[in-house]
Amino acid sequence: MRYRVLVFAAFLLPVAAAPFPRTQSPAAGSLRLEGDWVRIDPDGAGSFDGLGASIPPAQLLPGVTAGGGRGGRGRGGRGGGLETQATTPNPEGVPYIVVAQPCAGGGGGRSNGGLLVNPDSGGVHFVEQKDEVIFAGERGGVRHFYLDGRAHPSPWTPTPAGHSVGRYEGNTLVVETTGFTPGGVTGGGVRTPETVLVERFEVSPDGRRLTITYTWTDPKIYQKPHVYSYYFERAPTVSSGGSPVSYALEEWCDAGDPVEKQSIVPPKQIIK
Amino acid sequence: MTMLLNVPSIKRRCVSSLAVVCLTVAPMTMVGRAAQEARSHPDISGFWELNFDSRQVPRASLLPSVTRAKIDARLKGDAYAVRWCNLLGVPFVMDPGRPLDIRQGATAIIIAPENSSAPRYLYTNRATHITEDIFDPSTNGDSIAHWEGDTLVVDTVGFHGEHGITAIPGGGYRTEKSRLVERYRLMKDGALLSVTFTWTDPSVFRTPHSYEYRYHRLPATYEPRQWLLCDPYDEERAKFLDPPRPATPARGPIAKE
Repeated sequence: MRYRVLVFAAFLLPVAAAPFPRTQSPAAGSLRLEGDWVRIDPDGAGSFDGLGASIPPAQLLPGVTAGGGRGGRGRGGRGGGLETQATTPNPEGVPYIVVAQPCAGGGGGRSNGGLLVNPDSGGVHFVEQKDEVIFAGERGGVRHFYLDGRAHPSPWTPTPAGHSVGRYEGNTLVVETTGFTPGGVTGGGVRTPETVLVERFEVSPDGRRLTITYTWTDPKIYQKPHVYSYYFERAPTVSSGGSPVSYALEEWCDAGDPVEKQSIVPPKQIIK
Repeated sequence: MTMLLNVPSIKRRCVSSLAVVCLTVAPMTMVGRAAQEARSHPDISGFWELNFDSRQVPRASLLPSVTRAKIDARLKGDAYAVRWCNLLGVPFVMDPGRPLDIRQGATAIIIAPENSSAPRYLYTNRATHITEDIFDPSTNGDSIAHWEGDTLVVDTVGFHGEHGITAIPGGGYRTEKSRLVERYRLMKDGALLSVTFTWTDPSVFRTPHSYEYRYHRLPATYEPRQWLLCDPYDEERAKFLDPPRPATPARGPIAKE
């Protein structure tokens, strides 16, 4: 019975939408990026460290010190890179703190959309308009991709998300970003305000997969462009009015809540 | 869908594959429809800013049950949200002290602030709210939108009753029972964006509470500023926001519940 219902629904949906055939113009094709996405682990690496390990290491020029990027490590919006995971057993009866400063917004977290340069497992969302695409994350921040032909401003005060301009090449959104605050890049790369990142947002023909290919270039840092990809799927849907829909969640993180300092994986305790 | 693909029967596999194809194509077709509909309506996309004379806010008519004590408790909660850099949410996000970036896509309209609030998503691709048993209440709630002529009508429910800044301009506060209806309309050839907010809440307002903001369009070349740092662990900031309490209450006596 379940299959009959599914098949019926499958035939009914296109029929319901039939009066408005899908156009083939580049603009209509590009609309497929709009919506809700979640990063996936296509090769079963099993962890963010595992995902990071699959990224080819950056080829740095002699004398350049590798950055600390580790392949889109999780919890960026909550811990803000301030985790203090205990490495030794905790004395019996002594409270432990796993995250010293939860929800810190100063790093790659809620501020500035910096987290979206290196998305973690939080949902991400695109809204496409002819002059601008907004790339937003559930863990905070937005990035603005300007499509209106503007140039990168000069002078520009570096920011965690930099300044981005974009264009469509067929159905692929190509975004160039520069003006970053100095820091690390996934795969042991490094960035400075002069470093240029080109991202290609490419949706699969069936509209269900998104690949973001990152290319970092900087003649003062890299021997050759540092290239790697992240993969996403459409966010899970729920039923609304009988139709499957997805929507943006709002991740709540309260720095004033002591529970935020705890962990779901407590360190080993000494039991006498 | 995974379950379907695991069914060993070839027949079922064929049927499932067909269903998968149809279910894949259908949403894309509906996006096409949404895009066509979007093109037939005004585009409120742009950078928008409130000026000193942009707010027309009458006093709200509150229920007797909304006591001084309740209001003070809410103010305390709002101060907490600011102190700890929480997401601030609706209605604050519509008057955040900085311009708003509004972009009208094919399936949603996003309102992106420049400070500590999550962006708002006004969904134009569905006519019903996410059901209560699924939707986690949030500071922005669940917003669905449709066009009535040249006016965008946005209906929002699913608010969190305590998170963020809950104070509503003109009096009252949002609760989990609040409903907000907004009407967005371009004026003066698109130079102004009028937004009329109407709050209803059976636990707060005696009558629907309406007020209007008029946003000025900024040049298309405007560059949104990225969020200023909000560091909840900055002790100087904490002292500034949490000064020693005065010996006598600053807001007069607190009414008994």
